[in-house]
Amino acid sequence: MLEPQFEPALAGRAEPANTYITLREISTRGMIDLRGHTSDRKFMAAAKEVLGVDLPKAPRTSHGFGDVKVLWLSPDQWLVICARDKAPELAAALSKALAGIHSLAVDVSDMRAILRLEGEGAREVMMKSTSLDFSDEDFAPGYVRRVRFAEIAALFNIVEDNVIDVYVFRSYAHYAMDFLTKAARKGSEVGLFKKG
Amino acid sequence: MTGKPYRLAEGGSRIDRAKRVTFSFDGRDIQGFAGDTVASAVLASGQKVFGRSYKYHRPRGVMGLGSEEMNALVGVGADAKREPNLRANQVEIYQGMVSESQNRWPSLTFDIGGINNKLSRFFPGGFYYKTFMWPKAFWKHVYEPVIRKAAGLGKAATGRDPDNYEHMHIHADVLVAGGGLAGILAAEAAAKAGAKVVLMDENPVLGGIADLTAGMINGACVADWLAPKIAELKAMPNVHVLVRTTVVGHYHHNFLMAAERVADHDPSLLAAGAPRHRLWKIRASHVIMATGALERPIAFANNDRPNVMLASAVRALVGRYGVSPGTNGVVFTNNDDAYLTAFALKKAGVNVQVVDSRARPDGELVARAQEEGIAVSLSSVISAVEGTLAVKAVKIAAYRKGQGRVITEKRVECDFIASSGGWNPVLHIWAHNAGKIKFDDGLQSFRPDTHNAAMTAVGAANGTMSVEATIAEAQAAGEAAAKSVLKKAKAVKAEKLEVKEPRRAALESLWFAPATGAYNEGNKHFIDFQNDVTAADLELAQREGYESVEHTKRYTTYGMATDQGKTSNINGLGVLSEATGKTIPQIGTTTFRPPYTPYSFGAIAGSLTRELFLPVRRTAVYQWHIDKGATWEPVGQWRRAYTYSGAGETKHQSITREILAVRNKVGLLDASTLGKIEIKGPDAAEFLDRMYTNTFSTLKVGKCRYGLMANELGFLTDDGVTVRLAEDHFLMHTTSGGADRIAAWLEEWLQTEWTHYKVFVTPVTEQWSQFGLAGPKARDVLAKLAPDFDVSNEAFPHMSFKVGKLGGFPVRVFRISFSGEQSYEIATPAGYGLSLWKAFLEAGAEFGIEPYGTEALHVLRAEKGYIVIGDETDGTTTAEDVGMGGMVSKKKADFIGKRSMEQAELKRAGRKQLVGLLTEDPNEVLPDGAYAVAEVKDKPPMKMIGQVTSTYMSPTLGRSIAMALIENGRARMGETISFPLEGGKVVRAKITDTVFYDKDGGRINA
Repeated sequence: MLEPQFEPALAGRAEPANTYITLREISTRGMIDLRGHTSDRKFMAAAKEVLGVDLPKAPRTSHGFGDVKVLWLSPDQWLVICARDKAPELAAALSKALAGIHSLAVDVSDMRAILRLEGEGAREVMMKSTSLDFSDEDFAPGYVRRVRFAEIAALFNIVEDNVIDVYVFRSYAHYAMDFLTKAARKGSEVGLFKKG
Repeated sequence: MTGKPYRLAEGGSRIDRAKRVTFSFDGRDIQGFAGDTVASAVLASGQKVFGRSYKYHRPRGVMGLGSEEMNALVGVGADAKREPNLRANQVEIYQGMVSESQNRWPSLTFDIGGINNKLSRFFPGGFYYKTFMWPKAFWKHVYEPVIRKAAGLGKAATGRDPDNYEHMHIHADVLVAGGGLAGILAAEAAAKAGAKVVLMDENPVLGGIADLTAGMINGACVADWLAPKIAELKAMPNVHVLVRTTVVGHYHHNFLMAAERVADHDPSLLAAGAPRHRLWKIRASHVIMATGALERPIAFANNDRPNVMLASAVRALVGRYGVSPGTNGVVFTNNDDAYLTAFALKKAGVNVQVVDSRARPDGELVARAQEEGIAVSLSSVISAVEGTLAVKAVKIAAYRKGQGRVITEKRVECDFIASSGGWNPVLHIWAHNAGKIKFDDGLQSFRPDTHNAAMTAVGAANGTMSVEATIAEAQAAGEAAAKSVLKKAKAVKAEKLEVKEPRRAALESLWFAPATGAYNEGNKHFIDFQNDVTAADLELAQREGYESVEHTKRYTTYGMATDQGKTSNINGLGVLSEATGKTIPQIGTTTFRPPYTPYSFGAIAGSLTRELFLPVRRTAVYQWHIDKGATWEPVGQWRRAYTYSGAGETKHQSITREILAVRNKVGLLDASTLGKIEIKGPDAAEFLDRMYTNTFSTLKVGKCRYGLMANELGFLTDDGVTVRLAEDHFLMHTTSGGADRIAAWLEEWLQTEWTHYKVFVTPVTEQWSQFGLAGPKARDVLAKLAPDFDVSNEAFPHMSFKVGKLGGFPVRVFRISFSGEQSYEIATPAGYGLSLWKAFLEAGAEFGIEPYGTEALHVLRAEKGYIVIGDETDGTTTAEDVGMGGMVSKKKADFIGKRSMEQAELKRAGRKQLVGLLTEDPNEVLPDGAYAVAEVKDKPPMKMIGQVTSTYMSPTLGRSIAMALIENGRARMGETISFPLEGGKVVRAKITDTVFYDKDGGRINA
């Protein structure tokens, strides 16, 4: 009874059917919000030491190393993605390595829900959901951006060509999935620039 | 009536005579062919009347070719699926479609409102303003109900729209609006140069009016030459073509909106999941406007009779649908183009003659008419139309531009009229966002001039009417657009074309055809058909001093309603020009505003209806709350449990039960929505000292402190408990509604004012589920959950916190209280929230634990006199006003709001101050917001001295309690004041201290 049971944001909700792309929640990833200054060499070095990868400095990019992925959020903020069960120790390791360096590492593994869009129409569904141009060549795997998604704030990461992870605050997970389910409803395909 | 003779024996490029389609119009089954529109099929059935006019209820029929249609408006669909005011000539029929005419009662052929027409001399221009002004009371009770019933167009849908709608965003290098000859060629050129091209056209098929145009390209007629180009264009990988999609508006930075009618023509698409309409939001690097031109009618007497059509509309009926409006037609024109209609009719075997207002038109088409044996009356106009429900005959009178009235006229029997007063470029999207336009003498209309946006007009939309010039202009524009957008555009190889087209004579403006008899006495010359505005109305407005065309528009209603003056604008200006002696450019035009044509509210709403209308935020315990019968209190976008009413229990009963559980046993509250912000850095403590009115640098690690936050004006804006996690590390709690606002507020100060501070701010609200555990048994419950820290009162006193574990749960536990009871708030990562919640309930069962909602929370805090930002404060309330002046530091050098608090007004004695209220009748609960007055009078005005801010029935005290902001309240302790309520009732209440319960605070520290 007293043992904690982990419940993903969409626990108990059936995966959407009748959609032209696959939609599901990814609940196995942990997240660490990391703040620091890129101009602070000690900070950059300590972060790399723990994460095994340089923090991306270029806007809207991400770096990966093994199971760890670092998403650029702003000039002094990153989201470190790792296995959920590794997040507490990685956060602790970061805090330890960053002791005495102006920084802030917080385990926020439960703060966001990750909704994965997978399939040929994934980009099209994102164009129904945001005002961005997913046919732009910049929108390649690795791309990261915060965006207004439907009527809420979201963050997305293009994982592969037809795989997009949308990160929404946990409380909005049902809303976001409701919206995606409607946007990706079979029969509502736009077929942008598709021939034949 | 049978289809004959209106459906011609052959012809009709759009219809498939092998596929019959039955639909209903005003309850009558009509048979048409696949590809027909409501207009073509109903006309083919022999019916000419499609509706009644707005003001005079005159019978009206189809007038136009496309989106300019103003008369033949129909409602399609029944009940919740009805869409009114659709243009019959653009509505594609399908099997089983239900359509109906509008603005007629009881029927189209007999309409009781037609009496307005007989009384029309009493309905002059501006009559709305003249008639319905007085007496005042008549407006509400007589005029408005009558006008509402009589006026207007279609009926709105009833009930909730069952269909789906959606939005789509797209970026294009080049957006081409319009898929006629010019649009296709411009798109092709831009695409061949390498641009990403999106082409949108409002019609179901591309080609515009290429099929209604004279001329030969490389030996083929224009439409035949264009057909393979269209196929080729659609196949290009960098081109997306949308039909049934109207570009409705152009906005800043080449943002455009387009409405796509995805499934209106085919309900099986809806059933398969398609949205009915899709609203496109387009960002284009370059826009090519190839929207074509609309023909304008001529103002002649009774030019609104059913079967008076535009020449282009008649030509399209014959060519596209194999339908003729009648057997004996008159083409009335001031230009060469309408002769093409005469040729089409003659070829289809329909009797036709031409009336041309010009004296000596020397174009090749005029000569051809004479060669083909078509009678042409030059220097002539139609001076009268006979017939009401249908055209029976016309009178043709001699005419010379600029000269007087009709002297001689001849009567000619006919059953339809095709008129053409020239063509107006469709420059709406050019003008939506401040594109300049200029008057073109040759067209006698406006055409695009300069534009600040990256937009080019081509073809008829640009006033270029010749095929050869259009081709050259469109291709050049397409290529240039691509070059302007792309870093490296490909060179486009020019095609060798041989274009032949007839040489045309000049158009001669004809704004008013003189009529038989005194004009406007049974001889209305309609300018704006949809609003029943005549030439005489416009002239009257001039005489009455409405000099500005914008004033004339509002006064006469010319250019308003669903067609927004597509056919009336220029004709009206022509009339005004002749009435004033000014040129049309001197008069100017009215303003072009989006949308170009109306589109549905469904499209505007898109997906954001029903459960998606407003995002709802759920805590980890959301579903549990629902399962336990909670009613909701919306807090921002959150849903918080208001109270948990059990079976047979009223809300009042369950709230009372929850409150008493907290006071006597223990309660559990889902407080996850509270804002949580981590603040860290060497300057964090100093930063907090500046953000709060009280001091945080003195807070010890491991301790909690309640903070008040003011804005620069010195007014309270948020409050909450902030804890010190480490020397340089704090966790701030904000109000639920203030979480995002305060996080942004902190960032704003750090990023714009105090950039030297080394502080990071990371909002973590959603990371944690947080539960309030309050009541005399709270510690017992906590202890039962196997904490790995000492929970004794000595080790864990009020206003301290622990980080540790409860059993297997990682937690932060804060001993803080918003109820006055021994109380803890326990935070655990949200994924564990539900199981911790359940663990508390299980562990607390033996102590009588009950979940409580926000209403109990509010009563509990009010019993203790705790304020809520937004209840006890209204944005003009200071800490001093709510009796918390002691929390405003006198020692700190600066903090936000400090300077403002020194202002005389904020320091003034006698401001409204927070006090408690006890009503004389303990069972009387004051209404929230009730006003206190200095003196009760029989009726207002009474001097107001304050208002109730929180008011409840307190089950703890067994009586009502309230708080209020009252002028000079703290000096009035013990005074009884009066609250006059609606209905003359007056409630009297005594002013007291705000703390009603446990004044010495013993329970909180227990």
